[in-house]
Amino acid sequence: MSEPNERSDGRAAVRADDVWKIYPQEPAPVEAVRGFTIDVATGDFVAMAGPSGSGKTTVLNLLGGLTRPTRGRIWVGGEELTALDDRHLARLRLEQIGFVFQAYNLLPVLSALENAEFTLLLRGVPAEERRHRVQELFAQIGLDGLEDRRPGRLSGGQQQRVAVARAVVGQPALVLADEPTANLDSASSDALLDVMERLNRDLGTTFVFSTHDPRVMERALRLVRLVDGRIERDERRGPVPAAS
Amino acid sequence: MKYRALFLLSLRSVGRNMRRSALTAAAMALGLAVLIFSRALADGGHEQWIDSAVRLGTGHVAIQAPDYLETGRLEHRLDAQQVARVTRALADPALSDRIRTWAPRLTVTGLASSASSALPVRIEGVDPARERVFSTLPGQLTEGRYLEPGDRLRAFIGSDMAKRLSLKVGDRFVLTAQTASGDVEGQLMRVAGIFHTGIPETDDGLVHVPIETVRKWLGTPGAATSIAVLLHSSWQTDDVVKVLRSELDGSRGIRVMGWRQASPELDSGVRIDNWGDYVFHIILFAIIALAILNAIMMSVLGRQREFGILQALGLTRVETGWVVMGEGLFLTAVSGLVGMVIGLVVTWGFFRHGIDFSSASSSGWSASGGIINPVIVPIFRFSQIVLSVASIVVIGTLASLYPAVRASKLDVAEAMKFEQ
Repeated sequence: MSEPNERSDGRAAVRADDVWKIYPQEPAPVEAVRGFTIDVATGDFVAMAGPSGSGKTTVLNLLGGLTRPTRGRIWVGGEELTALDDRHLARLRLEQIGFVFQAYNLLPVLSALENAEFTLLLRGVPAEERRHRVQELFAQIGLDGLEDRRPGRLSGGQQQRVAVARAVVGQPALVLADEPTANLDSASSDALLDVMERLNRDLGTTFVFSTHDPRVMERALRLVRLVDGRIERDERRGPVPAAS
Repeated sequence: MKYRALFLLSLRSVGRNMRRSALTAAAMALGLAVLIFSRALADGGHEQWIDSAVRLGTGHVAIQAPDYLETGRLEHRLDAQQVARVTRALADPALSDRIRTWAPRLTVTGLASSASSALPVRIEGVDPARERVFSTLPGQLTEGRYLEPGDRLRAFIGSDMAKRLSLKVGDRFVLTAQTASGDVEGQLMRVAGIFHTGIPETDDGLVHVPIETVRKWLGTPGAATSIAVLLHSSWQTDDVVKVLRSELDGSRGIRVMGWRQASPELDSGVRIDNWGDYVFHIILFAIIALAILNAIMMSVLGRQREFGILQALGLTRVETGWVVMGEGLFLTAVSGLVGMVIGLVVTWGFFRHGIDFSSASSSGWSASGGIINPVIVPIFRFSQIVLSVASIVVIGTLASLYPAVRASKLDVAEAMKFEQ
């Protein structure tokens, strides 16, 4: 197992320290995440693997501030999200974290372009700059000409690429992707991973994604295996790209 | 910028399920239209009712001696000087655009006797020329004629009284009452005309006789027990009362009252009728509120994951709630506008000349001393329209509040698991 704390620029995109998530249930509480500790370098491309129920989604939810840990601390982009109130946590998610979900989760009432630029709109980025950034990104990831289509008129692969565009367009410190290829065929999966790799390499975007697909694991620079809410193995597969 | 994004989402979400949104908006618009129509009709009905009652009674504004309302006794009357002072006050140019007319009355209770019978009556000494404009009684004539300025010993009596005393036009009868000196004196009168109002106590017990005859007979020269003022609208009452009180300030022995105070029975009648309307409106509002609540709740419950996404993307709980509120407010605004236009156009376009309810009653209606005209002409009041629209806005806002709170309080991680 290689050293998990190496980093390209000495700055962690996300750090978790002894994080636990316990759901109070009868007859006994469920420990979904148990003492999870990790330090993800800026620009890394990390896969979290594990069987169903191993806690992958819960870990991503914790790292993204979608749910609060029972105990432990988490930092994103140098800010401790476990110390933030709901309002500031929402702001942190808006500015520092991008999400890609298994079921795409685009807003059905918005076009592809409007979905992709939504977080920029929330952040008050002027219309011209928003359009420019999204269109540039769409060109990079093969969504040219699909700007005006609503999600219902896009294929699964196209929808997931729009979701990736939405996640990275604001240049967040961290992009969390929960089984992003689970609903895609192999060709679409490969195409999506190509896009994610390219954005990771070209823009230095940090990706942490969950998967149970061996082909996806192979492409990660770092592979973290979870079993029963704990890290079982943490292996470095390749060097973290230097920050551009 | 952020709220523009939220509004965009609200707007698009309303458009997503167009049929549901249209049905909800239609329910609200129809509710508002019915509200505007029913308010206009109720206001029109009340105004006619009040107008009729005050014309037969105290006027919109009654000017009397302080204790006359409570005692009804001749000793509590305005003397000639006071009547002159009130007359000067009524001539104030500041009141000319609000006062339609006014009429002095000298009223006592007494006994009407004919060869066949006797009956307790209210003897009202009136100025025939003024009363012809003021009162609705001349218009209720069934036989003979109303009093004329030159008349001295003529009387205008009700149909029931004529029947009970077996009187016809031209017949003579005697009115007996207590004079100012305390003596009981009779006055021979001749029937000039007979009226029928449909109000039993009026048809049975009211006699109009020339005021100068009554003054002379009772020994009260120039006096009046009441000066009744008729306004263009009952809504002007408070203003006119205020002005007259100020004009007559310092005049001891003169009391100025609005119709609500002077005719408490009429006031109660209008209030009770208003409460009936309010109950109807509350039921209407409840139905509208449930329609909005149902539509927005259905929409919210089916979009748990979407609200989870919004919060994951960086919206706060409050902002997520605003997306839902925005939908409700947008629906409210659109349906409010449409409902107002429909309400005004339908009421004005189809019913500006009134709605005839006479088929519902062959004998007409009376209540609280007023005759209710079966043809009710709706009246638009700007304040009522504003109030109706405001009510819909409040209902729309309140009905959107619960779904908004629901949307804002969801557990993001749980919401993301929700199947849409």
